Amino acid sequence: MNFFKPFLPPDEREIIDGIAQNGTERKKGEERLFNRYAYFIKEAVYKYSLSQEEAFDLYSDTIISAIEKIANGSFQERSSLKTWVYQIFHNKYVDLLRKKSTNKNSIHHTLSMSDLLLQISDQSKTIIQKLVDKTDWEILRQRLAQIGDNCRQMLLLWADGYSDKEIAGLMEYKTSDVVKTSRLRCLEKLKQLYYTT
Amino acid sequence: MEYIDAYFNQQLGPEEARQFEQRISEDSNFAGEVAFYLSAKQALKEQVVLEKKEWFKELLAQNSSVNEAYHTGQVRKMWTYRVAAAAAILTCVFFAGYLFFSKSASPQQMADNYINENLKTLSVKMGARDSIQDGVRLYNKGQFDSSLQQFETILQRDSGNYLIKNYLGIVYLRLGNYDKALRYFRQLENYSTLFSNPAIFYQALTLLKRNQPGDKQKAKLLLQQVADNDLEGKQTAQQWLKKL
Repeated sequence: MNFFKPFLPPDEREIIDGIAQNGTERKKGEERLFNRYAYFIKEAVYKYSLSQEEAFDLYSDTIISAIEKIANGSFQERSSLKTWVYQIFHNKYVDLLRKKSTNKNSIHHTLSMSDLLLQISDQSKTIIQKLVDKTDWEILRQRLAQIGDNCRQMLLLWADGYSDKEIAGLMEYKTSDVVKTSRLRCLEKLKQLYYTT
Repeated sequence: MEYIDAYFNQQLGPEEARQFEQRISEDSNFAGEVAFYLSAKQALKEQVVLEKKEWFKELLAQNSSVNEAYHTGQVRKMWTYRVAAAAAILTCVFFAGYLFFSKSASPQQMADNYINENLKTLSVKMGARDSIQDGVRLYNKGQFDSSLQQFETILQRDSGNYLIKNYLGIVYLRLGNYDKALRYFRQLENYSTLFSNPAIFYQALTLLKRNQPGDKQKAKLLLQQVADNDLEGKQTAQQWLKKL
């Protein structure tokens, strides 16, 4: 038992519980979380001398990251939600500063891919990383727009961390197995479009 | 693709996972498939982020209270501490009052609070640009009559669309036409296969807002139904049942 776990105010508890659910409750939770600390944007403009756009991006990235962590249970409630979100916000700001000073935008894909590659052994990881680096991201994005609304929505939900069961509920499929089959079919379709055109 | 999906969902056993990784080293076509799976997921994730940012922009534009929150929560000056001390005393008084009065909040107040918090704006579907979403955007701009017209037109074409019935119920509720709102929410209740259906909770909400003789009792029964059957709105229903 964690004796240092603080008592979360009801509004913070409501946000966390909302995001931990699925469907409309999750969406409402995400909206509440975004609105709750949106004043960080102006703080960043004044305190960190960022442009409005940079501050908005920083805050949006913070909220997206917070949503992901709450949804997968990484937020352990060792501090209040506000303190925790501010910590992410500050860390993102430090990352931004580093990025600005070293101009490392080009490694964006390599960095963000690392999460997905974590479970592969080192030798295979190197092979996959090299192949991923060859991806034509622009073409891939274009093909994504061409696979059809249903496929696109399903794949976007999958990439957003929704399980096949949750997608079944949201898109009104009968079972998660049907979603899985359709999702893999959509990925195949995307692959064919990517390689054949 | 299913094999690759199973690996990344950690559904393969240790031996199968080892074989999977070995195959990456030995079979360049397979390695290409794995790389594509990961690239596709990465490109999709980036798209999700872009669409969420677009949604956040809309939220920011809608939420004028953000600026107020900033102005009230910003620069600390000495006099603010004095004000804060006075406010602390007042807060205690108000809190005591709140504890006393919150138990007896009127049904209409509870309904109004819920509507202000949850139904003032409706979620716009990420990336979607269709007539339903146009209706939602009109609603979010406060153009209830236009959004009503939009939703009614769609319903004529697609009479079985549960989403439209939900939206129509909400718009009529906001317009104060509670009978029509109830009619649409009752129709929505018939869609029993939906994963999440707020129909019964919304009927209770409408009855509390209408507040005619007998409405409160009917609403209580509906809220009890929501709480007992773990339906959408359960948390709020439980809170309200304590207060009603």
